[in-house]
Amino acid sequence: MDMEIKKLIDLIGQTSADAWEITEVKTHGWEFYFIRHRLDQNRLVRTTHTTVRIFRKIEDGKLLGSASEEIPPTASDEEALRILHALSERAGFVRNPAYTLLDPGEETALSGDAGSKTALPGASGSETAPSKGSGAEGGSVKNESSVSDIARNFIGTMEEIPESADADLNSYEIFANVREVHFVNSNGIDKVETYPDSMLEAVVNARDKGREIELYRICHMGSCDRENLTAELVNAMRFGRDRLKALPMPKLEKIPVLFTTSDAKEICRFFTDRMSASFKAQGYSDFEVGTPLFGGQMESRVTVEAVKSLPNSSCNRGFDAEGALRRDAVLIREGVPEQFLGDRQFSSYLGLKNSFMPGNYRLSGGTYSEEELRKGDYLEAVEFSDFQVDALSGNLAGEIRLAYWHHGKEVTPVTGGSISATLLEAGKTMKLTRALRQYDNMEIPAAIRLEDVSVTGVDDKTE
Amino acid sequence: MKAPFSKYLTEIAPALKSMAASLMEEYEYVSVLSTDSVGFMARVSQRAKSIRGRTMTTERGTVVRVLKDGLYSEYAFNEFDPGRAEEMAEEIRKGLRDQTELMKSSGVKPYETEALSDESAELFVEMETGSLPEECDFDELLKKLTSISDEAVKLDERVIDCPITAQSTHVSKLFFTKNRDLRQSYVYSEAALMPVARGNGRSEMSYAGISGRKGPELFDELRAKVSYAVKAVGDQLTADRVTPGEYEVITSPEITGLIAHEAFGHGVEMDMFVKGRALGADYIGKRVGSDLVTMHEGANCAVNVTSYAFDDEGTLSGDVTEIDRGILKGGICDALAAKRLGTQPTGNGKRENFEHKVYTRMTNTVFDSGESSLKEMIESISYGYLLEGMDSGMEDPKHWGIQCMLLRGYEIRDGKLTGKVVSPVCMTGYVPDLLGSISMVSRDRMIFGNGGCGKGHKEWVKVADGGPYLKCRARLG
Repeated sequence: MDMEIKKLIDLIGQTSADAWEITEVKTHGWEFYFIRHRLDQNRLVRTTHTTVRIFRKIEDGKLLGSASEEIPPTASDEEALRILHALSERAGFVRNPAYTLLDPGEETALSGDAGSKTALPGASGSETAPSKGSGAEGGSVKNESSVSDIARNFIGTMEEIPESADADLNSYEIFANVREVHFVNSNGIDKVETYPDSMLEAVVNARDKGREIELYRICHMGSCDRENLTAELVNAMRFGRDRLKALPMPKLEKIPVLFTTSDAKEICRFFTDRMSASFKAQGYSDFEVGTPLFGGQMESRVTVEAVKSLPNSSCNRGFDAEGALRRDAVLIREGVPEQFLGDRQFSSYLGLKNSFMPGNYRLSGGTYSEEELRKGDYLEAVEFSDFQVDALSGNLAGEIRLAYWHHGKEVTPVTGGSISATLLEAGKTMKLTRALRQYDNMEIPAAIRLEDVSVTGVDDKTE
Repeated sequence: MKAPFSKYLTEIAPALKSMAASLMEEYEYVSVLSTDSVGFMARVSQRAKSIRGRTMTTERGTVVRVLKDGLYSEYAFNEFDPGRAEEMAEEIRKGLRDQTELMKSSGVKPYETEALSDESAELFVEMETGSLPEECDFDELLKKLTSISDEAVKLDERVIDCPITAQSTHVSKLFFTKNRDLRQSYVYSEAALMPVARGNGRSEMSYAGISGRKGPELFDELRAKVSYAVKAVGDQLTADRVTPGEYEVITSPEITGLIAHEAFGHGVEMDMFVKGRALGADYIGKRVGSDLVTMHEGANCAVNVTSYAFDDEGTLSGDVTEIDRGILKGGICDALAAKRLGTQPTGNGKRENFEHKVYTRMTNTVFDSGESSLKEMIESISYGYLLEGMDSGMEDPKHWGIQCMLLRGYEIRDGKLTGKVVSPVCMTGYVPDLLGSISMVSRDRMIFGNGGCGKGHKEWVKVADGGPYLKCRARLG
């Protein structure tokens, strides 16, 4: 345990705290901003953020309050103690039903499942060497040891993206980060891990005679995944060329819509959000354990899992924000909710044991091939301005920047207009492919088909 | 009272200047932005409460910007020992040298840019506030928020919860170069209540917010929003789906603000001009809206959550007329983009925090008021909707598309509200068509500073926007 954390623990001892958590995140980031392959700016980020959460028992322990704040690394002992006293006082006003912090004893029962590939120190709180590059587990991605290696791979990858006169990269931003997280609580939990957490933002242009359009991509990943990144950007250029040929969205009224790109993640989040302990405990989710979704009417009976590790996910972390071990767990099995998962507070309110906040998810359960989902007339929506699914209401909507209208034997690129539906109805006839595809921390069906989606055409007029 | 400037920044300023002086020996331009902003977010619902000492803009750290051989580089850090300023300067030099080595070995060429101007200036501003977040009585605040949440739930049996967030931030920023020394401090606050209701086989949430360059005393204004927000969520529960099509609509001031933000807010962020990513660059001096459309952008054109004295590059705040009676006059610009475009910065260079890069960003983006009343506007519509309740929006500066996700539309038939409600509403269109169709503008005007704005899908900053009621034609779905 480093000196700063030990010092903070000593200072907390001078307050009226009944329990505490400390989370320290050290970031080493290299950033490169390009305009058409010319370097606009380079940046280096070196920070340490230490957040302390103080807990106070209220009314003889029937209630538990907490308050949190960052203690700047530049804070003097006097300033740190002032903040900690303030947190202790504030916590006494936060009157929540009692719950407990993670205890090492709870993890003993899970030890057989504790095969996280990240380094986990013992309950004694001894210092443990952090693991390297956990984000690259199980994938074909090179396990880089330093932020400079990750940045170098990004730069090299972007230089080699195949471009042409009619489609190229307008600009891109590389964010290569290696983070070290150290979590300690007053029950003796003491965990450290290091992981890569990177991001690339790219703007792709496509052009024809006198006209240019752009498409936007933001890709999160552990370290640089050359193969998938290249595929994503090459595909974006193809969509760009097709958007130049696209016709205004016709008046289609209602039509099946096929989701084959990362926007499909939003549909999956409807299920993961509704299976979160906080959503359930606050009364926002009407999903019930053991009760089939949508009254049992489901064309594809979805299975939703929390997954400890996915290849090169930026969320491959051995423990969550409260120190709980992450593991594989089923949330929904074949259309029937099995368990909610979430933080300590709301999990406690629901009576959940061994709960945790997942980092990665898998949604499966499809029985269809992609060819089967492509039968009949349908709209394949591949680019939205901002596709959204509201987990509370189930409403989904988005303005279309590019879709392929499959009608008869023709495929017509179309643009403009919008789609809307509610998953509470559309979920009943939703069809999923067997084949899955991964987008950072979510592995989801390669294609999702929703029936009877309302489409607003560009030329739709009323009176 | 004055919002006091950070004692911490005052204490470390001499050491930071010593560090910068060392860097100036190697670099052609050196600027330092150091921040110390504190605040809190309190959250109350029927089932849980929390207090965090963190908001979108709380931070303490420093970012150094340097120029060498035409390339701008930055080093952001939050561990600084005033007794070791020279060591920090050396760490910065070494870190940036390591990056330079990588760039050279990768064959990367810089986008060469001249040195920023460094005209002499000194500023020390402590803005007025009613109170400070550091001195908030949290016992009283949580009781107040809890009673407001309880009141909302009691108003309508269908309301199952009413989460409330209240946050307040005391911002202190120090910017200096060789010739400039700018210091500012101010307090802004915001709060929102979000009734959640269930009925008719549906679950819905509505929203009402308040914001201002004020201290936690702002939260006393929240109770007045309860009945509006509860009625709104009840309306959504019984709403129908809108029949897709193009309609005559009246946008409420918050929707008007969303249009301002998405249409010609992002559309004239001039760092996008540098990249050739904004159609607006080709339309300066040309018509983009009806004669009734005048739009301003700048920290000085309203007093709200982002009304600062200088931006994160040390440019004094401004007030830009972006559209004057339908004609696009100009855009907003950060200092680097201005240098590249041969124009002047407008005080719109903003960072998410010291760890992030500067981009051209909005502050207050507002439509000017007009001559009509809301009543006259409703009476002028034979079939259309009064649109209320902002959810989100998305810009498309390259193609001038606009997407606004809205919560409610109130039907108007033959000049009267019928009581029929549609929800949700996805409003889309082509910006010049939308602004060109504005045929009536109301006399009143409101500005909203809740929430945040991203550049693409990242770089979140505080913004405010608003305006009057607008009558226009829009596509709804």
